[in-house]
Amino acid sequence: MKGGRWTTQTGSSTYLSEAIAIWLRDLRIEFRTRYAVNAILMFAVTTLVAVSFSIGSFRIEASEKPFLYAVLLWIILVFSALSGLSRSFVKEEEAGTMDALRLSARPQAVFLGKLFFNLTLLGALELIIVPSFILLMKYEIEYPGFFAAMIISGGFGLGAGTTIVAAMIAQASARGALFSALSFPLLLPLMITAIKGCERAAIGMGTAGWAEVKIAVAYVMIMMVVSLFLFPLVWEE
Amino acid sequence: MILKAMLSIWMAVIIVAAFLYTEAAVGFPGETSRILFFHVPQAWVATLSFLVSMIASATYLAKRNLKADYLAQSAAELGFLFCVLATVTGSIFAKATWGSFWNWDPRETSIVILLMIYGAYFALRSAVPDPERKRVFAAVYSILAFTTVPFLIFVVPRITASLHPENTMNPTQPGMDPKTLKVFLGSLLAYTGLFVWMLRLKMRILRLEGLKEPRFGDFI
Repeated sequence: MKGGRWTTQTGSSTYLSEAIAIWLRDLRIEFRTRYAVNAILMFAVTTLVAVSFSIGSFRIEASEKPFLYAVLLWIILVFSALSGLSRSFVKEEEAGTMDALRLSARPQAVFLGKLFFNLTLLGALELIIVPSFILLMKYEIEYPGFFAAMIISGGFGLGAGTTIVAAMIAQASARGALFSALSFPLLLPLMITAIKGCERAAIGMGTAGWAEVKIAVAYVMIMMVVSLFLFPLVWEE
Repeated sequence: MILKAMLSIWMAVIIVAAFLYTEAAVGFPGETSRILFFHVPQAWVATLSFLVSMIASATYLAKRNLKADYLAQSAAELGFLFCVLATVTGSIFAKATWGSFWNWDPRETSIVILLMIYGAYFALRSAVPDPERKRVFAAVYSILAFTTVPFLIFVVPRITASLHPENTMNPTQPGMDPKTLKVFLGSLLAYTGLFVWMLRLKMRILRLEGLKEPRFGDFI
């Protein structure tokens, strides 16, 4: 049927167009159910409120603030991410749409689409949590640019490190607990780097070539490349 | 059989030599420096088995050879065992010399991460019912975990300075006593031999267990 509605596309879709199609589809589903967003944001807000309520902005000495606040902020971000990022694949397994997805897109495109989706969730999470944290805790930051770069690259790292793990645990039993257990060791180097970076941005002890941001960017690159190589093995039956 | 006997004799010689032949290093309370002959080889084997497990995992993914998966699993289990041994012995040494069992020294940090990776690896293996998929996932996770290791080398020493004794205890440094060096290298050899022997035993066990592994139909 030339020009008709059911024209089969052969060879005309690229990895990127497939990935973007999956990303947009996931966003649309997410807008309808708001399951992952609710889970992640409610977790994050609850933790933030608990931290802010119990510590407040005066309990910690000014000299200790840059480090301890960086730790608290990253604990909130990492564990909120771990609470909901596995949804991207678990929901396919629960809805029984895994096989349809396997047929309709190449594995790397699926990975990229899910990664974009997870990064969107993380972006929303950081956009809400980081400013609220700064306001509630009176977090004073000497180098806002460096701080923002650290938060953004750290967010990319969270997505890059966990997406392939989500694909694996979706096909295993005991999903929720397993996702955190598997992801955390992989994220730990990133988390340590990000804490250090945020601390240095807050103290203002020199951005020193943006070392932490560079490490985080390298982490993102390496995890993405390795995941792209390994993902087809995890994905295909 | 001969090799096994030789290994046990060698191990015994090393243990005796570690306590009687060498002298305790200067600058450490009492006899604590003798931990070098046991703790360091254990940490070495823990790291070596992590590497072996990763290489075997990659081989499994490339060739889908069952033996490679047995090797990966056995190496991971032994690595976990030696990791625990190194952590416990190191902790006792830390109490004796630095005053507390745990200090988050950079190497303590990295061994904890290694323990967590092994723990996650076994958790993943036990959570995937389908045997073929279980092997693939475990192999993928092993490679993923190994990729993050270089970051630890860059990242962890930035937090705190290491308390680990470097100069008098490191064979690549000139400060080491020749007698100590001899026994230390002998001990590394003994532990590596022990590792290889245990690895082969474990692989045989896995192969025999694999013979009675449930067939495809059992999972439906």
